[in-house]
Amino acid sequence: MTVAPGELVLEHASRAFSVRADRGRTLKELIIGRANAARPPGPPPVQALDGVSLHIRPGETVGMVGRNGAGKSSTLRVLAGIVPLDAGSVHTGGQIVTLLELGAGFGRDFTGRENVFLNGALHGLGRAEIEQRLDDILAFSELGDFVDAPVATYSSGMYLRLAFAIAAHLDADILLIDEVLAVGDEAFQRKCEERIARQIAAGATLVLVSHDAALVERSCARTVVLDGGRVAFDGPTGHALPFYHRLMGTPDPQPVTP
Amino acid sequence: MAHRYLFEQMVRRELRQKYKGSALGIAWYLVNPLVLMGAYYLLFGVIFELQRIPDFPLFLMVGLIVWIFFSQSLLSAAPSLLDHGALIRKARFPRETIPASVVAVQAITFVVLLVAVGVVTIVLRGTLDVALLLLPVVLLALLGFVLGLSLAVAVLHAHFRDVAPILSAALLPWFFLSPIFFRPEDITGQALARAALEWGNPVAPYIEAVRAILYGGGAPGLDVLAYVLAGAALSLLVGRALFRRLEAELAVLV
Repeated sequence: MTVAPGELVLEHASRAFSVRADRGRTLKELIIGRANAARPPGPPPVQALDGVSLHIRPGETVGMVGRNGAGKSSTLRVLAGIVPLDAGSVHTGGQIVTLLELGAGFGRDFTGRENVFLNGALHGLGRAEIEQRLDDILAFSELGDFVDAPVATYSSGMYLRLAFAIAAHLDADILLIDEVLAVGDEAFQRKCEERIARQIAAGATLVLVSHDAALVERSCARTVVLDGGRVAFDGPTGHALPFYHRLMGTPDPQPVTP
Repeated sequence: MAHRYLFEQMVRRELRQKYKGSALGIAWYLVNPLVLMGAYYLLFGVIFELQRIPDFPLFLMVGLIVWIFFSQSLLSAAPSLLDHGALIRKARFPRETIPASVVAVQAITFVVLLVAVGVVTIVLRGTLDVALLLLPVVLLALLGFVLGLSLAVAVLHAHFRDVAPILSAALLPWFFLSPIFFRPEDITGQALARAALEWGNPVAPYIEAVRAILYGGGAPGLDVLAYVLAGAALSLLVGRALFRRLEAELAVLV
């Protein structure tokens, strides 16, 4: 299947996770045989994605909401190509840039500046391509002199500033963002939203996981409500959010009239 | 190769992170092998004086640095994927970069030690010979051999958590069965034992080859050369195939 840059297609995607604390097996178990392995039967695997089908076209802005454990983050990790599927298929086109966890791709003893290079390299860029963007990235982050301090000394807001500044300058066709913007202050959040909007206008696709209904409403034209690993609702954000609030049993927030 | 720069960055990260904040810093990479070399010299050079081998300290050192590169690479590669779990769970990049960068760091240490020990050996023993031109070939083969095995133990340990403990338990007897402080050709009584020690132990030909060049001042035998090249090819082939097969689930396992 061929997809255009910025396009994402999930077809009947299913993925279960075992929920044991000891994730790895041992050779002993393999040799003795799993059946009589001496470990107690744990809880059954969790079906994080259960036949999810989604077609996201280039330039779309899609919010993903749902209760904790509904499969939002798993869906993002599947779309990012980090976690393989048990069944179904996933196809994505173009450069994917992920912002899944703050500081995941950072070396704690590296300075902010050095981490720009490490993070760019993780996204497949070479030295020249990163150097070309370095000034813009550092300027966007507004970290000032902290760019030359080890990121171990950063606050979570500063992590976000650096991580987002890098992500925003990697020429993404697809942006996958998981609930990280919340730690930024209001001014920086607004700056992020403006930057995302510019990238969307330039043809990029956004998939945003968030519990912040207002953020989803501002940033996403379409919203997918996930529940128990299935798509419970998929449509315009204006319809999806009331559905989500009913699902959660919370009152639909009334628009504030001046 | 699009991710060559990532590899370079990961090596830097590895070098920086390991001994961060310690007074000696990166020099710790040399301390560990130097201490080992001192201890083994005391044991085999002074306590059990092996007089039959001329310039025994040099004989020992050349073999020992090859062994240290081999064993330290495997020991640090095995837990490397788990150590970088946060990265693997949250970013998509070629996973083999992680064990490869760990091996690269060990290879840097190895080359530093090899140059020091090699120069001293050649000067003291007068073994400068045209066979030295073969050394890069042998070293590349050694690197391939170690890299292939490291890929395998890294991905296997992510799946089966007893690989690293088994490995460290196996390396101790393996050390004593490797021709580091003895020459297999001195075993004249038992042909079978000699053949097993010479060819049954895949590390032995690499030690023999490096030592033939630096300590012996001549080319290793053609059989040894063929062995080290074939060993490297086989190790890389199997290691890569195993890694490809088992890497998909890494983000869930680590």
